[in-house]
Amino acid sequence: MKRQALARMIKTGVQGTDVTEDDVRQSIERAKQYAFIAFAVDTPYLQMAKELFEGTGVLLTAPVSYPLGGMTLETRLDQIAFAIKVGAEEINASLNFNAIKSGDFSTVLDEIKRMAEAAGDDHDLIVIPQLYILTNEEKLKLCHVILEGGVNAIKTNGHGSLCRPEDVALIRREFGNEFSIEASGGIRTTAQALELLKSGADIIHTSTPYGVLQDAE
Amino acid sequence: MGEREPSKNTLASVIDHTELRVDASYGDIRRLCLEAVKYRFASVTIHPVNTPLAVKLLKGSTVKVDAVIGFPTGAFTIEGKVFETKDAIKKGAEEIDYVMNVGAFKAGNHSLVMDEMQAIKAAAGYLVTKVILETCLLTDEEKVAACRIARETGIDFVKTSTGFREKGATVENVKLLRQTVGEDVGVKASGGIRTTQDALAMIDAGATRLGASAGIAIIEGLKE
Repeated sequence: MKRQALARMIKTGVQGTDVTEDDVRQSIERAKQYAFIAFAVDTPYLQMAKELFEGTGVLLTAPVSYPLGGMTLETRLDQIAFAIKVGAEEINASLNFNAIKSGDFSTVLDEIKRMAEAAGDDHDLIVIPQLYILTNEEKLKLCHVILEGGVNAIKTNGHGSLCRPEDVALIRREFGNEFSIEASGGIRTTAQALELLKSGADIIHTSTPYGVLQDAE
Repeated sequence: MGEREPSKNTLASVIDHTELRVDASYGDIRRLCLEAVKYRFASVTIHPVNTPLAVKLLKGSTVKVDAVIGFPTGAFTIEGKVFETKDAIKKGAEEIDYVMNVGAFKAGNHSLVMDEMQAIKAAAGYLVTKVILETCLLTDEEKVAACRIARETGIDFVKTSTGFREKGATVENVKLLRQTVGEDVGVKASGGIRTTQDALAMIDAGATRLGASAGIAIIEGLKE
């Protein structure tokens, strides 16, 4: 695949505990030289990122309850409201993993509906199911719940995991084109990205996009 | 502490029994709370989303519900953390452990970190509030500067680590924190404390609270 074409399938960003304002600024300046789809920053830097991306067409992604999913629904809604206020176009929300691992899908469904409602039609809500901690049964059940909640985009995993091609293939096989699948978690090389795209991913999420582009033509 | 070991009850009374795993279930929270009551731990440290369940299970016990805020990155706005703190308290949280905005601190923005500390302390009112410094990411100079801010704001505890990075509490860090905050601010050692020996070493170094998921092994390992 051509480098430019692959860049058009990548979402990236810079997030983390010790990321400074300068780190964010530099990452954005570098990212602007590529045609990435979207860029995520932590909440303190959303406003600044919005200004830096002005006029570039790169979508700004706001994280919600990221990455552990341990925040309450009320806090998630507060974060969504903030994201909308500062002009983020996309919202990446970690789901309530503790509820999922408890089989409490009614709580999960309710939370997804409320978050989708808060995001509204003008903002893309992409939820994170954290596939790597789920059994296959939980993955499928959860994906049905996500659709029922009115969301049709998933980012497979949060920080600190490895996206498995078989997980992407499973969701694609079971749900056809009902989902936009954003593969995420430990994607560092062109080969990994191409394998995930072949397995059915629509988009590659990576914090190391230049490594991923390196071996593209 | 030297040669003498504390009693089981004394040691348990300084332990925050912790369950923050991403794949924990309600069953794990239930087990955590039952164990905390049985061993009389200081608190259970949990994600805010599990606060209502823990509050229900711990009703009538002396074990506090301790919610983590801005966890684990601390990369949230002050307003966002204040909202989350108030929301956790509304749901019954009795102690607050929040992660400092480490990125801003490392960029030299100490005034933001002080504002944040004051705002969260104010939101928590009379409840015990702890600031997680994530010491493994700070230079010694930065650790000292953060402790000075803590001392100035009068926050209840400085806490070493989230436990979600490679390195947790070390004896050297606990000593440095204790030396800098003096006697009026508590020091919570957390991250990687798995054995009785680890726990006693942290207390020797000046810790007045321990965060651990291995609290039971720590207590049962006492010779007594």
